[in-house]
Amino acid sequence: MMRWVWAAGSCIVVALAACAGDSGSVTQVQSPPPADVVLVDTIPVAPNYGIHDQYLRDGLDIVCAWNTGILIYDVGNGIRGGSPANPVLVGSTTTVGGEAHNTWWFHNPVTNEAKYLFVGQEGPGSVGSSSSGDVHVLDVSDLTNPTEVATFHRNGSGTHNFWMDEPNQILYAAYYNGGVVAIDVSGTLSGDISSRMIDTVTFGAGNTYTWGVQLYRGSLYAIDMLSGLWQLHDSAGVLSVAAGGNNQTERYGSDLWVANGYAYTGTWGFFDRTAGVVGNALKIWQLDGTGAPTLVDSIITPDILTVSDVEVTDDNKVLMFSTEGGPNSGFWFYRLTEPAHPTFLAKYLVGNGIHTATFSRIGGKLYAFGAKDPASPAQFILDVTQLDQ
Amino acid sequence: MLASLTALFMDGGAAAAQRLQVDWGVQAIPSLTETNVVPGDRSLGELRIVQPMGMLDAATLGDRLRLVATLDFEKYTIAHGELAPGDWGEGFEDRRHPHTLVHQLMLVGPDLFGRWLRPVRVFAAAGKGFVPFGSDDPMSRPVVRYPVNHHLSQILERAVGLAGIRAGPITLEGALFDGDEPVSPGSWPATGRFGDSWATRLTLAPVTGLEAQASYAFVHSPENRPGAGPDDAKTSVSARWQRSRWYGLVEWAHSRTAGGAFVFRSVLAEGEVAVAGQHPYLRFEQSDRPEEERLFASPFRTRRPLFENAILGITRWKVLTAGDAMEVWSHWRVRLAPYVEASYLGIARIGGGVFDPQIQYGRTRGYQLSVGARLVAGMRMPRAGRYDRDVIQKMEMP
Repeated sequence: MMRWVWAAGSCIVVALAACAGDSGSVTQVQSPPPADVVLVDTIPVAPNYGIHDQYLRDGLDIVCAWNTGILIYDVGNGIRGGSPANPVLVGSTTTVGGEAHNTWWFHNPVTNEAKYLFVGQEGPGSVGSSSSGDVHVLDVSDLTNPTEVATFHRNGSGTHNFWMDEPNQILYAAYYNGGVVAIDVSGTLSGDISSRMIDTVTFGAGNTYTWGVQLYRGSLYAIDMLSGLWQLHDSAGVLSVAAGGNNQTERYGSDLWVANGYAYTGTWGFFDRTAGVVGNALKIWQLDGTGAPTLVDSIITPDILTVSDVEVTDDNKVLMFSTEGGPNSGFWFYRLTEPAHPTFLAKYLVGNGIHTATFSRIGGKLYAFGAKDPASPAQFILDVTQLDQ
Repeated sequence: MLASLTALFMDGGAAAAQRLQVDWGVQAIPSLTETNVVPGDRSLGELRIVQPMGMLDAATLGDRLRLVATLDFEKYTIAHGELAPGDWGEGFEDRRHPHTLVHQLMLVGPDLFGRWLRPVRVFAAAGKGFVPFGSDDPMSRPVVRYPVNHHLSQILERAVGLAGIRAGPITLEGALFDGDEPVSPGSWPATGRFGDSWATRLTLAPVTGLEAQASYAFVHSPENRPGAGPDDAKTSVSARWQRSRWYGLVEWAHSRTAGGAFVFRSVLAEGEVAVAGQHPYLRFEQSDRPEEERLFASPFRTRRPLFENAILGITRWKVLTAGDAMEVWSHWRVRLAPYVEASYLGIARIGGGVFDPQIQYGRTRGYQLSVGARLVAGMRMPRAGRYDRDVIQKMEMP
């Protein structure tokens, strides 16, 4: 089933078009009142390429601001009395080489420490074939004074998005043309930790160009821009292909989120893989008993070029994705009452687009944090509590 | 004032005063262009006025001081660019970008010390203008269509301070400038970035009419105005011949971006001969182009400001252009020269990346046809990009 969604005044029209599992029906749903999504604040970011991603944990908002570096805001932690409506900068630093793109704050249950912050550097690359950039490790024991202590480097490829198996102290990194990498991050991290790579895997009928990874029910899921969604076996960081893959050919893949027994993947379309077919699809994959993915539905958002980030709330009720490259760029929210067939909830459009978006619960409310593209890059903070009822 | 202007015009556009010499010129090229190399697999034709210029050259103090000014009105005539498959830069692809309104505003000391240092000559210049790098500005060359390699072979519209020394047939120049390229036709160089980039050029002119140069430039973050983008290391080698009825240029250019993550190469050869009022010309070039993310609103525009350092791939363009300009009318320094021009274009992917010309254009070979007329009053379009006395005093193309 493939649905086309477009705005018609205050009304959202959902049409069901021909596709696998298509019911052929047409429905209309009313757009929710604007009060359901409330902009509570924006944080301007210096235009050194601006903000690419954010990581929310323990009431801290860790902003990846390219050459401006890593900015840590209190948005509810209490360390500086900040809140989503009044973020207060706690600390900042620049990483070696700049180009700070994404991050993961490691809460180590073995040592009960939250000492290390992993930062992905996105260096120059050619989409689909080459990449560069290291994993930088910051010691954030003192949040007011983050300090770079270690670096992970691979020749011939560069890192992109992370996921962690914290109990087993393994960092998984999508590595574009390098596929997926598993890194042992136990113990003390210092200097060059490139020798800590446990395993790496590449896949696909052609080249590999992996955007993101997520651990879910014992499998590692990887979304590859060229070859689609893969299920990988993971045994303490030793990786092998389990299922999926070579299952997307008309568009390039982008981000992923796995929840409810389903995987939701975005598509990238700043260049058409098929003439006239842009990256305006969010794909919905059902995972069978073994975790293997099967495509069951897609959401098409008109007037965009890319679905750039995907996330589901921790209660599995709301799906959010960010969009770029067109007049419908911004935040999009769908209800997951029926996880295989999300229903439209709300949109919050932002000129130039939202590159990444992240949920966080703070003070009993649900917020969406988003990285607004240049010009005038900024972080947008939305109160979306009403969408989660 | 009016009398002065009238006198200027009637005596041919050059006013000689005891202490001030002024020359001026204006130019415009109405051009009808059609091509089948267009995003979306279609043909497109456009009528535009390209290269509309106003030029002023004023000299005083016995030619110790010159003002070289060029206004470019493309901001008004080709705000969305000139249809030219393969051309790129400053947020445009497959359209040549409009240049900034103040194209050149340079205060030049073409011979600072006069006879005191003979036979050595020292010159200096400062203002907004051309960096001593590469070959002449394409506007001052015979082919109307801009080459693909414009952003590999010239650096212009920067806040630049340069100095040069000439001894016999050898000229050495050095310059500091701002690395940021213009972000719009109305933009000025970024405040505070002057001096973050530098260039040097060595020129050898062993015999009359022959000039060879080798130059190198380090350009900091040209495509990101705040300075967060990758740097370019650019090299250019060229030889130019202009004597009697003949003009020719061969050049090789090489740009390394982000420490060599991306490498772009170009070779170009062009020539013209004047025969009985006809000026047939020919150009061949093979130049690499970065492919960038294009906008939803226009397939001819790319995302600006840049957001990250990835590109979609590199394409190699082979362009063969043949044309003829005819001197049909020339009185009182007013000149009318219709032209016709045809280009064959071949496009190939090199290296990896997702960009595929077959998907983008529906083809990998195509054509561009142009007809128009070069309208000039006053001084002809000068050689742009050099501020040495011997050059700017002879700055007229054949």
